[in-house]
Amino acid sequence: MLPFQEQIIAELLDEPGGGLVVLSSGLSLETLVSALLRLHSPSQGTLLILSASEFQKSSVLQCLRRSPDLQSTHGALSPVPAEIPGDLPSHHRSSRYTSGAAFFVSPRILIADLLTSRCPPSALAGLIIFNAHQLADTSTESFIVRVVRSANRNAYVRAFTDSPQAMVAGFAKAERTMRWLGVRRLHLWPRFQVQVSSDLEVSPPEVVDVRVPMTGAMRGIQGAILGAMDACLKELRLTNKVDVEDLTVENGLFKSFDEIVRRQLDPIWHTLGMKTKQLVADLRTLRKLADYLVRYDAVTYLKYLDTLRVSEGVRSVWIFADSSHKIFEFAKRRVYQVVREGLKLIGGAGIGIKRKRQKGDNREESAGGSPFSKIGNGERGIDIGVVLKEVLEQAPKWRVLRELLEEIEEERQKNVFSGDAKLENSNDNSGIILVACKDERSCMQLEEFIEKGSQKVTQEEWKKYLLDKVESLGLRKKNKKMSQAPEGFGVLNAETPVGRGENTGFNSISQLENDALLTAASEIINSAEVKAVSESTSDAHAETKRHGKGKVGKGKARRCVEAVLMSGGKNKINKIMDATKSKVEVKSTLHGECGVVDVGGLEESTDDGPSSETVAHKHNLLPDQTVCSVNKPLPPVQLYALESGQNILDSLKPSVIIVYHPDVRFVREIEVYKAENPSKELKIYFLFYEDSTEAQKFEASIRRENAAFESLIRQKSLMMIPVDRDGHSFGLSATKESQSLVSQNAITRKAGGRIASEKEMQVIVDMREFMSSLPNVLHLRGMRVIPLTLEVGDYILSPSICVERKSVMDLFQSFTSGRLYNQVETMVRYYEIPVLLIEFSQDKSFSFQSASDIGGDVSPTNIISKLSLLVLHFPRLRLVWSRSVHATAEIFASLKANQDEPDETKAARVGVPSHDGIIENDARAENYNTSAIEFLRRLPGVTDSNYRALMDGCRSLAELALLPTERLAKLMGGQKAARTLREFLDAKCPTML
Amino acid sequence: SQNFSAQNRNAILVSHRQKGNPLLKHIRNVKWVFADVVCDYLLGQNSCALYISLRYHLLHPDYLYYRIRELQKNFKLRVVLCHVDVVDVAKPLLEVTRTSLLHDCTLLCGWSLEECGRYLETIKVYEKKSADSIREQMDTDYLSRLTHALTTIRHVNKTDVITLGTTFGSLSGIMDSSMEDLARCPGIGEQKVKRLYDTFHKPFRRVS
Repeated sequence: MLPFQEQIIAELLDEPGGGLVVLSSGLSLETLVSALLRLHSPSQGTLLILSASEFQKSSVLQCLRRSPDLQSTHGALSPVPAEIPGDLPSHHRSSRYTSGAAFFVSPRILIADLLTSRCPPSALAGLIIFNAHQLADTSTESFIVRVVRSANRNAYVRAFTDSPQAMVAGFAKAERTMRWLGVRRLHLWPRFQVQVSSDLEVSPPEVVDVRVPMTGAMRGIQGAILGAMDACLKELRLTNKVDVEDLTVENGLFKSFDEIVRRQLDPIWHTLGMKTKQLVADLRTLRKLADYLVRYDAVTYLKYLDTLRVSEGVRSVWIFADSSHKIFEFAKRRVYQVVREGLKLIGGAGIGIKRKRQKGDNREESAGGSPFSKIGNGERGIDIGVVLKEVLEQAPKWRVLRELLEEIEEERQKNVFSGDAKLENSNDNSGIILVACKDERSCMQLEEFIEKGSQKVTQEEWKKYLLDKVESLGLRKKNKKMSQAPEGFGVLNAETPVGRGENTGFNSISQLENDALLTAASEIINSAEVKAVSESTSDAHAETKRHGKGKVGKGKARRCVEAVLMSGGKNKINKIMDATKSKVEVKSTLHGECGVVDVGGLEESTDDGPSSETVAHKHNLLPDQTVCSVNKPLPPVQLYALESGQNILDSLKPSVIIVYHPDVRFVREIEVYKAENPSKELKIYFLFYEDSTEAQKFEASIRRENAAFESLIRQKSLMMIPVDRDGHSFGLSATKESQSLVSQNAITRKAGGRIASEKEMQVIVDMREFMSSLPNVLHLRGMRVIPLTLEVGDYILSPSICVERKSVMDLFQSFTSGRLYNQVETMVRYYEIPVLLIEFSQDKSFSFQSASDIGGDVSPTNIISKLSLLVLHFPRLRLVWSRSVHATAEIFASLKANQDEPDETKAARVGVPSHDGIIENDARAENYNTSAIEFLRRLPGVTDSNYRALMDGCRSLAELALLPTERLAKLMGGQKAARTLREFLDAKCPTML
Repeated sequence: SQNFSAQNRNAILVSHRQKGNPLLKHIRNVKWVFADVVCDYLLGQNSCALYISLRYHLLHPDYLYYRIRELQKNFKLRVVLCHVDVVDVAKPLLEVTRTSLLHDCTLLCGWSLEECGRYLETIKVYEKKSADSIREQMDTDYLSRLTHALTTIRHVNKTDVITLGTTFGSLSGIMDSSMEDLARCPGIGEQKVKRLYDTFHKPFRRVS
């Protein structure tokens, strides 16, 4: 452990009530927790760890398993916390709660166990709460803290978070969080804190920053994405519904942007028009696009765009914006171009692009020497036919990565020869090279790339892409008569025919393009043939490339190349050359010793254009290149996905780390790792795309974190420290108040002078409702909350009153989805007084719509109409309108006043058809794979009456997928249903791309 | 008389008590006539409504109860139409809620006279309308059904559905896919892969 980490622990232990620790991301929160766990002894009581994510759990365990650098004070083995799963039988659970060991437990389970007294609060030493930034006043964690503290004043609460940005969202978040947790101390540990930075900078690793320039097309896409984002933001501002200040493109790059927008819009979400909602969704899509641009290769990116167009096409605002048109255009250009046989470039190019790029157009005209009008062009195209030119641009980072690896290997070889000087060192150094990228997908791709080379990888993707295409285009031809739409729809045309004057010309071009794609695909299928052809033409081909100028050729392939070069292609190659040059400069300033390799790289890059044949040429023509890009030995490499969140630095002990996708958190982890192992040599390469959103995002995230800490420090200095840390005054006043109110009501409504019983009120609450804040508030009001899994309703107030709770937003949504109708239907079936509770939120207006929004006519989409219809169809349904959660609690108390208490066993059985073999118990939700069941029930042929039999007949959905029709028929009780299901499962999914 | 009521079958019958209620101005889409009815508004053969404003309730807390008692058991749908016209709603609304609920009335709240009027109109107009527009609408084409099923899994969106469909060819292909194959799909991150895989491969029942 580093000194500053020991300091944090010491400060935490200093305060018996616990505290809230906020530290910079990546500063190894898990180490702190595991240190606390080592200090825990069973004699203190049980220690429960709440709200830890899977990753956090596993890295805590990892930390503990490593040889403890803190001696366990009690001589016993350091306690490795186990899980308390929901499906554990209840008596086992309660024995664990009293065992004195440490456990991970989910808040939802713990609160249920606390409320059902399976977990005695007195047995607890304290709570460790992860992700404290996610807390809210009514969240389950604060509920737990209150319940525990009210029965056990000595229990401590130690809460941690490493997202300081989230701690400054909203008004005095930190202070309020402390109050909810009942802690008095706030510990702030930013990266810039003196001790932290001095600890981490004792022996900093050697860092090499490699700025990789993006290709022209990538820059084009990025520019267009930012343009589209800006347009969306402007549009959003125009709605006057949001505070403009936070809405910047830079913020738009972060996930938290959604939160900013949602926080502002959520209260009025149901009043927003479709367009505003779509804008919010579009911004999210655009952010993803910007992110994927630097993560995915050209072909995958194009594929993703195609998918997007199919799924979003009709609704999206941005897709029709001018700049997004460019996104598609450029993305396509990175993959292929369509070339007219008669030396004409149509390709990557709808008419739109021609119009925009006058230069390209001119050149094209002069090259072809044909003064057709644009539409004429298209029409001519049908006769002439086109050829598809593969471009298959490769991610610039790939090349740089390869060069880095080669360089590392070279150096290593040198070291081996140069003798033993570093031998001891290499004993210490694992020699492992770690490449860290964002996700598993990139990992797999990089692995393939390192193994097989870049051409192979893109070729593979391209093949897949084309094959998909063939299917969809083939399919479309069959369906031609059915719809005219597809041409402007799923197909790869950059233009949407709607509203364009050039429909005919355009359509024929896209038709040509499709034909070209089909041809290319069939060529791929007979790839052997292709190779032969390419070899025969490679001579001329290579020549063209070297001179960069067109000569009149003989072969088909040759002409294509020329066309590319003539019209815009030349430009492009120059650009690539420039780019590579600039990269050489960057690199040589860094290392000053990579001449040979880079020349190779440069030539290779000019080669990028027509790369389908490059492998073949290389052997014939460019032996030097072949050597450097194919035969050069590469060191073994470990790949690591940042998303997986495991802490592998300590287990792998790499000596070189290449950060392929930069991430602040990971950088900090490296720093900590280096500081913990000062003797180890560590070299780090950062790969950034120059001037990219990637770099911008990285820098901005550091800035944002610092700003958050500064604000927290300011807040801390002004903070009112909550005194009631023992939790005693927490609910007391509220309880008193509610009791007086309840009894007051009891007096006004006492039937026949019956004296209101003093007995504690009980409410049965569905397990799923513990996600919401109402159970918490009910408990605050002094009611006994009984958690149970309910099939019907959310709250059972009495044997006859069953309540389905809807927030306003839920209400709108579940009307739209039709779920509300079903829920009300079952409630009406099983309960005497079915209640629909419409709960408004305290901080927004108490009404659906203003009088002016109502309109002149009865419109079926209006909420009034929907509610009226519901009421007409279920005259027995009672409606309750509540101003806020707190008002709801009061209403519940009042409704219950002269009713009997609800019966747990009965409530649990309601709506569950009695069925042999199913034993209903209170942990139902935990015992079932609920999403699988929901999934199953939505499959065609599956009904309420047969899904249980299906669940009995096979273990999982994966097994179901393999069952033959006869078996299904037996389970589902009918041939027809079984056939419907089987056919749906096996139906060929139409390819939309 | 019989003739009179036949004539006004399509109109809301308004009690004479409601004379002078500004709400009447806002009933425009349906015809209404004064008549001798027990309730305030007779909306159909089996449905009726009582009107109360919260401000009035504060002055006469027992009024609503007596009106409800008058209705006896003659109607299937008994609406209490409550005009929310006070700022501090919690207490009066609680009382109105409680009274309506315990005496078999359905409470509808309107925040303006327009809104209240619209409820009356709508209930009259929709008297015989089917519930289709608030029932679950299922498109029957393949993609919608596929989307409907796959989107039960949290965070799986339409784009993902298409990606999955294209990659694996059929639903059974998707359900039988390996974690690695799922991870290869663009746009599907670690979390989604795990959720998808768990849904398909974890048993329906965790304890046998």
